[in-house]
Amino acid sequence: MIWLTWRQFRAQAVVAGAAVVAVAIALLVTGPHLAALFDSNGLATCRAGCGTDASNFINQVKGSKTELVFYGGIFLLYAIPALIGLFWGAPLVSREFEAGTFRLAWNQSVPRARWLAIKLGLIGAAAMATTGLLSLMTSWWASPLYRAAQKAGQNSLSISRLTPPLFSATGIAPVGYAAFAFVLGVTAGVLIRRTLPAMAIALAVFAAIQIFWPGVVRPHLIPPARSVQAMNTANCGGMMVTRGGGFALWSCSVSGLPGSWVLTSQPVNAAGQPVTTSPACVSAQNFEQCLGKHGVRLAVSYQPASRYWAFQWLETGIFLILTAGLGGLCYWRIRRLN
Amino acid sequence: MIWLSWRQFRVQTIVAGAALVVVAIAFAGTGPHLVSLFDNSGLATCRASCSADAHAFIDEVSGSTIQLIFYGSIFLLYAVPALIGIFWGAPLVARELETGTFRVAWNQSVTRTRWIAVKLGLIGLATVATTGLLSLMTFWWASPLYEVAQKAGQNGLSIRKVAPPLFGGIGIVPVGCAAFAFALGVAAGVLVRRTIPAMAVTLVIFAAVQAVMPLLVQPHLIPPVQATAPFNANTADEVVVTQAGSGPLTMILKGDFSRPGAWILENQTITQSGQVFTGPATSACLSISAPPQACNNSLNRLHLRQLVTYQPASRFWPLQWMETGIYFVLAAGLGALCTWRIRQRRA
Repeated sequence: MIWLTWRQFRAQAVVAGAAVVAVAIALLVTGPHLAALFDSNGLATCRAGCGTDASNFINQVKGSKTELVFYGGIFLLYAIPALIGLFWGAPLVSREFEAGTFRLAWNQSVPRARWLAIKLGLIGAAAMATTGLLSLMTSWWASPLYRAAQKAGQNSLSISRLTPPLFSATGIAPVGYAAFAFVLGVTAGVLIRRTLPAMAIALAVFAAIQIFWPGVVRPHLIPPARSVQAMNTANCGGMMVTRGGGFALWSCSVSGLPGSWVLTSQPVNAAGQPVTTSPACVSAQNFEQCLGKHGVRLAVSYQPASRYWAFQWLETGIFLILTAGLGGLCYWRIRRLN
Repeated sequence: MIWLSWRQFRVQTIVAGAALVVVAIAFAGTGPHLVSLFDNSGLATCRASCSADAHAFIDEVSGSTIQLIFYGSIFLLYAVPALIGIFWGAPLVARELETGTFRVAWNQSVTRTRWIAVKLGLIGLATVATTGLLSLMTFWWASPLYEVAQKAGQNGLSIRKVAPPLFGGIGIVPVGCAAFAFALGVAAGVLVRRTIPAMAVTLVIFAAVQAVMPLLVQPHLIPPVQATAPFNANTADEVVVTQAGSGPLTMILKGDFSRPGAWILENQTITQSGQVFTGPATSACLSISAPPQACNNSLNRLHLRQLVTYQPASRFWPLQWMETGIYFVLAAGLGALCTWRIRQRRA
């Protein structure tokens, strides 16, 4: 059975291997340049007050080819689980249905449970290994950027791995996504029994989950921390009074906790109640003094950057449990078919 | 033949229609809010020096759902051609070859040329219509944003329509892209003869073309403009002292450049002899006690110049037409390749 799985998976394995090698070469070629840029800005030896050096470093990376490679890596780690679900997952069982070979495959001495278990296990392991390797390589490549952000200790560098765009593409979360997307594809193939519709539906469902998960589910996996801080331009990148007299805030960060993922930010008065209209004394010049006088402060709910790995493990665990559930659904459905 | 094409293409049409309706609903739901934001910001009636209001508007929109939807729609206009190539293009002929039904399809009274021509034509038309509609809806929805960027007239708003990544995701380029992806899919199906490998090959080649276009082709479709200006350290974007390892201290200087909406290809600071200025760092810039103004003054005394290579924003539509033309020519070539190959097959 193991040999059969390998024999039927050969082409995909070769393609995956070639892709990993290609990415490795691309990263190896550009990695030393990024590291050299890191050193030449004095960040390797900097102990304190590294903010300007880090900003210079990031500015030099912005707009260069290196930035393209960084975003390319992020995009790749979003795309790979979807592609795995599409090309490895969906055709796995639906191809047997379309060609009629399921009658041969499922009436052998190898029981169906074992057939499915070995297929899912081996190819699932290959999916996780590929994605894990890619995640490792891109993390190694981008480590100067993350170290610079850490040394700077400021939020303005906006390289926070906990915030949604970067979170799903770093660490071990992509491995969980790959396993889930793979088994989602297999399930779609088992239920729909035709390859192309199964691919389309697996892609649509996986894309929907990826879009809604960071906003709807992830913030509540660990109850967010709350704090009330001063409402000034050090804490919020932009503050403005709208024409209706309300507040408009953006790019708010948590003072003293760089890299946090800010979920909500709301002006509150001294008693902690939300303030929706700005005090009358507000003008462009005395924004902060006026607010201070009226005791208006900023209540933020956030996830601190230190929870990054907790979230990674939680999310990977949830997706692996969903994977196991879908695998069970596949098995139950295949057993019942005649 | 037309009825047959429709009958075999029915499901894909319904899916495309449903997707368009979903997108239209999403846009219709958020469009009025964006328009009211625009009206409330006072930019509708602003005639001159609107940049402060425009800045405030863009800042208000940043980080909100509207920015998400904007970038989501751009992403969609990149993704839809790829999906069309994979799901409409690759299976078109490959499925016939894989299941053996080509023996029936290609030995009828309808000639093979007519068979492939009608299929390519009708589904190609559906491709163009779907992507065109999507691009039109996105353009209608985002028009307040573009108007604001225009009124602001500053570089800092970063809605540069002529630069990647926006350029390939708005206007008529996605339509050309989709036609090319579709033809690429069909050609891959004809040459590879099995559906899933054809899908994979289409995806890889299309992704490669999408990556190469902005890097190698787009900057040179029309030769970029080169402009020189005196380098002013006081308004420079970047004045940095760096040191590679234990080597000499060098400087990196990047001047400020304000042509609104332009796509800056290269921004170099050159000496009077035309070489790129790398240092050595002036003593005023190295000393920790001297104020930053002394560093700026010392740099200004060097009489450096700023050499910028860029594509101006006014070239947006010529570049769009040229790139779409290239894609359509490629699509036509691939279609001809398919037709020739199908006519050649013995079976």
